[in-house]
Amino acid sequence: MEAAGVVFTLGWLQITTTVVTTWGLLLVFGIGSWLATRHLSVDQPGLVQTALEGAVQSIAAAIDGVLPGRSELLLPFIGTLWLFVAVANLTGLVPELHSPTADLSTTAALAFVVFLSVHWYGIRSAGLKDYLQHYLTPSPILLPFHLLGELSRTLALAMRLFGNIMSLEMAALLVLLVAGLLVPVPVLMLHIVEALVQAYIFGMLALIYIAGGMQSHEASASPEAPQTNDKKGSAP
Amino acid sequence: MELNWTTFALEIINFLALLWILKRFLYRPVLQTLAERRAGIERTLAEARASEAQAAAMQQQFAGRLADWEQEKAKARQDFAAELASERTRQMAALATELASERERSAAQDAHRQATQRRELAAQASTEARQFASKLLARLAGPELEERLVQLFSEELAALPEEHLGAVRAGQNGDGRGMVSSAFALSAGQRQQLSDAIETRLGKTLVLDFVVDPSLLAGARLTLGAWQLDFSLAGELGVFSEAANRG
Repeated sequence: MEAAGVVFTLGWLQITTTVVTTWGLLLVFGIGSWLATRHLSVDQPGLVQTALEGAVQSIAAAIDGVLPGRSELLLPFIGTLWLFVAVANLTGLVPELHSPTADLSTTAALAFVVFLSVHWYGIRSAGLKDYLQHYLTPSPILLPFHLLGELSRTLALAMRLFGNIMSLEMAALLVLLVAGLLVPVPVLMLHIVEALVQAYIFGMLALIYIAGGMQSHEASASPEAPQTNDKKGSAP
Repeated sequence: MELNWTTFALEIINFLALLWILKRFLYRPVLQTLAERRAGIERTLAEARASEAQAAAMQQQFAGRLADWEQEKAKARQDFAAELASERTRQMAALATELASERERSAAQDAHRQATQRRELAAQASTEARQFASKLLARLAGPELEERLVQLFSEELAALPEEHLGAVRAGQNGDGRGMVSSAFALSAGQRQQLSDAIETRLGKTLVLDFVVDPSLLAGARLTLGAWQLDFSLAGELGVFSEAANRG
């Protein structure tokens, strides 16, 4: 897989195909959302509105399953992660387009955003002092390990998505090169499933990390309480 | 696999921009619509609960009213039964009174009918008796009986009470003329005998006309103006029939 090429430059900024594709996705999302939510009906929802409401409610239900009562707070961020990653993963199926998530810069950016959001929501939920306190519990000696864990899981988040999507695209490209036209179809179907699964995993891991950050002060306040969902953050 | 820091930074910005776009154009409208619908459902549910509570209250109220109605109905039925019994007693008493009255009236009508029948039977019997006697006396009538009756006429005239003769003597009846009717023609002796007897009893002389009247059957009748002395079979039968009719 070759690195994303530079399409054009704006001064010292090099605009790559990944960024252009992402802008395209932003355009699609923006126009699509505007068109889909222009005439929402309370009493008689149409097919598109029903699908939208179902998707939004499913995301809220998933968030409520991990963090009960916090779906309204986390829905925009987690929902955007799921939708963007899923659509970005599937973009590679369109001829002449590459998935933005097959670029390490994108997955690293997303992982960095998740990394920041964990601390943002954690501090918002517990306060700065209580939030930072959990890095020192149960013992200050564990602080380096906590920090190392934060970095490693963020790195793993970025690498996992990048590796999976890049390998899928590469595998599809290789199969297309060495086989006929119809042979890659099963691989492309696998690509769809894998893209959706990876999007789900990415969003769910981000949700679990955020939940861990928001509940860390509760865990530090009651040592006998069960461990946070952070432990669930192991890579599949 | 290399990291382009420009792409990295732009992708962060892109994601934040997407976050704002979706939040502004997707999540907020959809969540607002869902909240409005939920509020509408809650409002409908609240109204339904209120209606249910109101229906339950009304049901309870109607049940109470129904029970009251049942009690009132039972009381009204009892009152009606009592009133019906009282009315029946009164009607029975009235009917008994009316029946007694009707019975008395019927008894009176029976008695009147029986009396009428008795009278009719008596009249019929009298009529038949008079007819029988008339037929019998008509067959018995003859000059001998005529003679005998004329004789009896003279004797009866002689035995007539004075108060019956007062008016005749006072000249109120007759103008000096009289008429003697007989069933058969009287002989000269008989005529003289009657004339003598009348003049002796009345004390004055009368001019008498002797006429034959077969309807008398036998006997004689003296007529002086409005005064009349009858001693004939027909006259006796008339007296007999009148007495029978008087009963």
